[in-house]
Amino acid sequence: MQKTMNRRALIGGGAAAAGTLALGLAPRRLFAQTPVTLQLSWLHSAQFAGSYIAQDRGWWIEEGLEVALSQGGPNAPVEPPVVSGTALVGISAADYTAAAVEEGAPFKILGVAMQKNPFVIASLPDNPVNEPTDLVGKRIGMALANTPVLQALCALNDVDIDGIEIVPTQYSAQPLIAGEVDCLLCWETDLPVAMAMQGIDSVTMLMADFGYAVHSQTYIATEDSLANRRADLVALMRGEVRGWDAYREDTDAAAELTLQMYPDAGLDLETQKLQAARQVPLMFSELTDANGFGWWTEETVAANIETLGLLGRDVTPDLWDRSILEEVHGT
Amino acid sequence: MTVTTAPARPAILQKPVSFAPWISTAILLALWELAGRQLSGTFVLASPSEVLRYLAEEWRMMARALAVTLGNAALGFVFGNLAAIALATLASVWPRTERVVAGLALLVFCLPLVATGPILRVLFGPGDGPQIVLAALAVYYTTLIPLLVGLRAAPATWFDLVRSYGRGRVSALVHVRAMAALPYLFTGLQIAAPAAFLGAMVGEFTGAERGMGVLTVRAIRALDVEMTWALATVATGVAILAYAVIGALARRVLKAPPPVILAAPAPAGARSSALQTGAIVTVLALLAWWGAIRVFDLNPFFAKGPGDVFAALILADDAAETRATLAGALGETLVFLLPGYIAGLLAGAGLAMLLVLMPILAGTAMPLAIALRSVPIVTTAPLVVLLLGRGATGTIVLVAVMVFFPTFVACLHGLRQAPGQIMDVLDSYAAGPVTRLIRVRIPAMLPAFFAAARMAVPASVLAVTVVEWLATGAGVGSLMALSASLSDYDMLWSAVVLVSALSALGYAAVGAVERRILTLYAPEQVA
Repeated sequence: MQKTMNRRALIGGGAAAAGTLALGLAPRRLFAQTPVTLQLSWLHSAQFAGSYIAQDRGWWIEEGLEVALSQGGPNAPVEPPVVSGTALVGISAADYTAAAVEEGAPFKILGVAMQKNPFVIASLPDNPVNEPTDLVGKRIGMALANTPVLQALCALNDVDIDGIEIVPTQYSAQPLIAGEVDCLLCWETDLPVAMAMQGIDSVTMLMADFGYAVHSQTYIATEDSLANRRADLVALMRGEVRGWDAYREDTDAAAELTLQMYPDAGLDLETQKLQAARQVPLMFSELTDANGFGWWTEETVAANIETLGLLGRDVTPDLWDRSILEEVHGT
Repeated sequence: MTVTTAPARPAILQKPVSFAPWISTAILLALWELAGRQLSGTFVLASPSEVLRYLAEEWRMMARALAVTLGNAALGFVFGNLAAIALATLASVWPRTERVVAGLALLVFCLPLVATGPILRVLFGPGDGPQIVLAALAVYYTTLIPLLVGLRAAPATWFDLVRSYGRGRVSALVHVRAMAALPYLFTGLQIAAPAAFLGAMVGEFTGAERGMGVLTVRAIRALDVEMTWALATVATGVAILAYAVIGALARRVLKAPPPVILAAPAPAGARSSALQTGAIVTVLALLAWWGAIRVFDLNPFFAKGPGDVFAALILADDAAETRATLAGALGETLVFLLPGYIAGLLAGAGLAMLLVLMPILAGTAMPLAIALRSVPIVTTAPLVVLLLGRGATGTIVLVAVMVFFPTFVACLHGLRQAPGQIMDVLDSYAAGPVTRLIRVRIPAMLPAFFAAARMAVPASVLAVTVVEWLATGAGVGSLMALSASLSDYDMLWSAVVLVSALSALGYAAVGAVERRILTLYAPEQVA
C-alpha cells in the first residue's frame, strides 16, 4: 500500500507540476517538489483559509512541497488516510486523536490551530444560556453521541446533568428556531453563523471559557513520519504558520480567497467573512502572540488531559510533540 | 398444462395518453407552493417559486455540480448494470451457481454505505473512484434480481425446441432467455436510475471536491432551505427524466409485448439445499474479505479481518459489552425498519391494484410515485425528519418510501401480465374487475411482488441506516458513523458484519415465504 500510494501521489504531483508549468507559473525553485497531502477535517470553507493562503501565495512551493488539500466530509474520517500514508498530515482534534491512539494509531499532535475548543451552547437572546448553571431546566438539542461533552461540562462546573433535558436532534439550528429546544450544542463558527445570516440573533456560551479544554483543529502525523519525514513536516507547518498569520491580518481577504479557490463549494461570501472573523479569537491568544501560531504549553496540555479524562480518554503528555513547531518558530 | 398467451401490454409499454399527468403535476406544485408559504420562516420547506428563484440565480454552479454527479452516476450505472448482466448470465448458463451468486451479490449489496465509503476513499485516494463504485453498488442488485426472474420467465416449450435442435444452455440463453428477460431488465434499469444518483451523492460525502452531495451537506448546515430544496428538486428531476428515458427506450426496443406463461417450469439443475448454499456463501465471503485486506495491503488500524471481528465479538475482555451495544442499536433500528418495510410493501402492492381497478388514477399516481422515489434520501432525510418530527414517524415514512416504489412498479407490471386467455374465460362469465383481480391478476403478480419484497430488504436497511446516520442519531446507522469518527473500527466492522448478515437472513426469510406461496400460485418460478 505504502508503495502504490507513493506512486500515485508521485504521478499526481507530476501532473500538477506539469499543469503549473503549462500555466507559465514556473516553480520558484528548481528542485523537484515533494508531493504531500494535507487531509482536512471538513468541507472546504474559511475554516481552513490559512492553508489556502499558503497554497495561493506559493509558500509551500518555496519550501519544496507540492501540497494537495484534501477536503473532508460527513463520511470522511481523517485518521485512515493519515495512518495509511495517503496523507502526511491530518486535521483532527485532541479527543478524536486520543480515541484513535487508544485503538493503536501511532499519532502525535504537531500543532494546535484552535487553542480554544469551538463547542458552544447557542441559545436565543430572550431565553439565554450565559453560563453552565443556566442550563438547568432547559431543553438542549444535540446529537446523543455528544452526551460525554455535556457530561464533562457539567462535571467541570458542578451542574447536575439530570436537571437538563437532552433532546436528540440532527446538526441544525432549525429545532432552536422552531422552539423545540431552548439551546443547542454546536460550533461557534457554524450554526450561530448560519442563524446570523438568516437575521436571527443568538447568544453563544463558549465551553472553553468554562473549563472545557480540548485542543481542536490539531495537526496530526504518525510517529513514522516524525522519524523519517521531518523536513517535509517542518516545511508543511512553516507554510501553515505563515498562512494563518496572514489570515489573521485580513480575514475578509481570506474569505474572498476561499470563494475564489473553491467556486463550486456553494459558499456565500458574507457567511464566510463572518465565519472567518469569528474563529480568530479561538485560534489566537496571548500564548500564540508570545510563542507563535499553533503553540501549546505544559499547562494547556495538563488542562486538556483533565478534560479528556472526563470524556473517558486516558492520555499522557507525550501525545503532543512540539519539536516540529519549535523548529518552525526557531526556538 | 402449458398455456402461452399474449397478455395486455406491460406497464412500461403503456404510453400515457391523457393530460392527467400534467394536471396532477400542476395540482401538486400548487399544494407544494401553498405549504411552502404556510411554513415560511420555519426553515424546513421552500416553495417552488423560491426554488425557481434560487435556480435562476445559481444555475451555473448547480449545473457544474450536476454535471459532476451525473457523470459519476452514469459511469456507476453502466458498470453496475454490466456486472448485474454478467452475474445473471453466469447464473443462467451454470444454474448451480445461481444461489451462490445471488447470495454473494446480496451480501455485497447489504454492506452499509456508512462503512464502505471511507474504505473506498482510502483505496482510491482523491478523485471520483468512491462515487462511481458506490453508484455501481447501489444499482447492480436491483437489476440482478428482476433479471434472474426474467431469465426463467420463458415457456418450457421454447426450451424443448432449443433442445430438439440439439443445442445447449448457451443457445437457450441467447435465443430464449435473453429475449424473455428484456422487459425485466428494463424494469430493473428504471429502478436503478435514481439509485445510481443516490449512490454517487453519498460517495461525495467521503471527501469529494464537488458535486450535488457536497452542496447538500453545505446547504443543510447553512440552514439554506432554498438551496436544499433546489438540490432535491434538480436531483428528483434528473431521476424522473432518466426513468422516463429508459421507459421510452423500452417501448422502442420491446416492439412486441413479451409472452407470459403459466407453465410447468423447465427442469433446473440439481440444487443444493439452502443450508449448504448459505455455508458456501459464508465461506466465500469470509475468504474474499480476508483476501481483499491482504491484496490491497490495508492498514490493520482500520481494516479489520474476520479474525479481528470474531475476537471483538467473542474473545475480547469487553466482548459482552460490544455485543450489548450492538444488540441495543440493532433493536432500535428494527423498531423503525419493520413497520416501514411492511407499510412500503402494502402501499406499493395496494396502489398497483388500485390503479388496475381504476386506470383513470394512473395519470395522477404515477408521476407522484416516481417523484417520491426519485428524491434522493440524503437530501430529504433530514428535512422529512424535521417536518414529521424526531419520533418514529419520520424514519418509518422514509423507509416505506424506499420500499414502496420498487414494489409498486413490479406489482403493476405483474398485475398487467395476467394471461389474456384466462381473462377471456372470465369475460365469458361476465366476471367483474374485482373478481378478475383476485382470481387472475394477483396470482400473476405474485412473482414480481416477491422479487420486489426481497429486493426491498436491503433497500430498507439502506434507508434506515442512512436516516439514522444523517438525521435521528439513533440505532445501528448512527453507531457505525460514531464508531468511524472515534476510530473504533472493531465495532464498525462488527456492525457491518451483523447488518449484512441480518439483511441476508431477512432476504432468505422472505424467500422462504415466497417459495411456499409461489408453489401454489406460480409454480413455474419455483423449479
